[in-house]
Amino acid sequence: MNDMRKIERDVKMTDTKITARNVNVHYGDTHAIKDVNVDIADKTVTAFIGPSGCGKSTFLRCLNRMNDTIDICRVTGKIELDGQDINDKSIDPVQLRAQVGMVFQKPNPFPKSIYDNIAYGPRIHGLAKSKTDLDEIVERALRRGAIWNEVKDRLDKPGTGLSGGQQQRLCIARAVATEPEILLMDEPCSALDPIATAQVEELIDELRRDYSVVIVTHSMQQAARVSQKTAFFHLGNLVEFNDTDQIFTNPQDSRTESYITGKIG
Amino acid sequence: MTDISNGAGVPRKPTSKELVAASLKGRRRKEKRLQWIGIGAIAIAFVTLFILVSSLVSTGRYAFTQTHLTFEVFVDPEEVTPARLPRGNFDDALAASLGQMLPGVDMDDRATKRGVEGILSNGAQFELRDLVVADPSLIGKTITMKVPVADTFDQLNKGLIDRETPEQLRRVKDNEIVWFDALKEQGAISKPFNLALFTNADSRFPELAGLKGALVGSFWALLTCFLIAFPLGIGSAIYLEEFAPKNKLSDFIEVNINNLAAVPSVVFGLLALAVFIGWFGLPRSAPFVGGLTLALMTMPTIIIATRAALKAVPPSIREAALGLGASKQQVVFQHVLPLAMPGILTGTIIGLAQALGETAPLLLIGMNAFITSAASSPFDSSTALPTQIFIWADSPERGFVSRTSAAILVLLGFLVMMNAVAIFLRQKFERKW
Repeated sequence: MNDMRKIERDVKMTDTKITARNVNVHYGDTHAIKDVNVDIADKTVTAFIGPSGCGKSTFLRCLNRMNDTIDICRVTGKIELDGQDINDKSIDPVQLRAQVGMVFQKPNPFPKSIYDNIAYGPRIHGLAKSKTDLDEIVERALRRGAIWNEVKDRLDKPGTGLSGGQQQRLCIARAVATEPEILLMDEPCSALDPIATAQVEELIDELRRDYSVVIVTHSMQQAARVSQKTAFFHLGNLVEFNDTDQIFTNPQDSRTESYITGKIG
Repeated sequence: MTDISNGAGVPRKPTSKELVAASLKGRRRKEKRLQWIGIGAIAIAFVTLFILVSSLVSTGRYAFTQTHLTFEVFVDPEEVTPARLPRGNFDDALAASLGQMLPGVDMDDRATKRGVEGILSNGAQFELRDLVVADPSLIGKTITMKVPVADTFDQLNKGLIDRETPEQLRRVKDNEIVWFDALKEQGAISKPFNLALFTNADSRFPELAGLKGALVGSFWALLTCFLIAFPLGIGSAIYLEEFAPKNKLSDFIEVNINNLAAVPSVVFGLLALAVFIGWFGLPRSAPFVGGLTLALMTMPTIIIATRAALKAVPPSIREAALGLGASKQQVVFQHVLPLAMPGILTGTIIGLAQALGETAPLLLIGMNAFITSAASSPFDSSTALPTQIFIWADSPERGFVSRTSAAILVLLGFLVMMNAVAIFLRQKFERKW
């Protein structure tokens, strides 16, 4: 029995959710991402690590076309989500972003009630048919965000009144409320204290069961703790992409080794 | 080899600590001087403001009361007959009743009679007329009336006419002073709050002149201005800030809007005269046209304030909404605009306050006409507060001196009120990030 389940899980691990081929990003004259090829697996946490300015956040923002909002930013190459080119003209970024949720570096709850924060996404996408439906969605999202017990008695209080760690978990709950398939996290713990960070990391591990999570992090320890796959970016290049264990114990590239041992970065 | 170690005879290089200490005194002195200049500037500003307000109050306060005369009026059937209503010799009836209160007055003497009539405001006879027309049974009866006295006697009562001045240089003659004092002794003279200042429209007679026409005119003009400038201003600001591509054209538009905010108001007046009145044939002196003109001036202010308020909304909120799959329009209208609203409203109110005090463009479109009734629609001829001040300041009657100051105080009161609302909105709704 146990063995069978393990096999099943391994098969799932190899399901590819996102395929990126020859992705290049230019900010005006700056060549920020250079020919990046990467496969992101389903139900896996993939960490992007690298020194500041190496392009890991920029690449992350390509995956839900958030770079569209920056006038001078130009993305070329092919990014496929379930075999569908996300930069294709037929794809509406609005729809894409409902499929690919995002959590930002700084907790950014809307200055509305906790309930409305969560309900906003389902509302604009018309996911709830009735008020009770919406209540259920909100509760489910808050439970998944591991914050339900802390806020269930004050859903009508402003989300901005929560502590930093709670705000970030609220933002994660808000992102999962629209039932995305992929969750992008751009340094979600950099504004949090160690206790809140531990809570969020635990949550990320939980989320892996249902989603493919891509996390950008400055902290190599964090990458090692939460991810199964790690990609190392340096100066706009994807230097190495492998199982997290491999990257941290047996890096193939000398630059990766220098970075994880603290010689560069 | 180092300089410091072998320094016999050679002056030792001062350490950086000593250098800092030496420069510290000068720096502190400069800081002190800057502080004093700042305090001085604020003090001068306050003194100027104080002088302005106190001079306005000291002349304007007289206009907030009005001398009234209370007396018994016999509605003489010989002067007023039911058949001739609304005509009748109401002034004679008033003068005859008043003459009886004055000792040793021969009402058959024409000059004396005219003098007695002159104590009352010209408006008194119309007041009596209105009473009698409303109730013709009053004819033949004696009624008690409280009417304003003429401006000169009002001035006399308020001590603004010096009794020591030689008679020929004085506007009230000796016998008139005797009459007035007699009336005062009988307790017929009172000085209540001058409600007419707010309930009457303009008049040739200062004691009857009020600000109602100007207040109503300003209200219509500001309403028109708000209804036009607010949606247009916000609309352009949202488009320019959130949707317009950043290129040469949008830069050009931005520069021009900023320039528009600095165009002298008289130019807008000329433009309005040529376009609204000349081309479109809109009525002269109408608050609606005034409002259109003021809207032209207020719009750049609103656009600039709105853009600043939109810019101040942190990008993290936009990203949060975009990341959830909100469309651009949803981001703007559901998140950015509500958050920018306090700033937008503050800017709008300040723009409207500016418009309220604007005189030059209104003069050019004829809102300085002499109009004795309040406008009932924005298309009626009317004055506005600043133009009313302009008209009164230009009038020779003594009573208008204090009324001009009073009108300025009323205008300032409205401005302070509007700015207070703006501050309140900002304090109440402004969000700290």
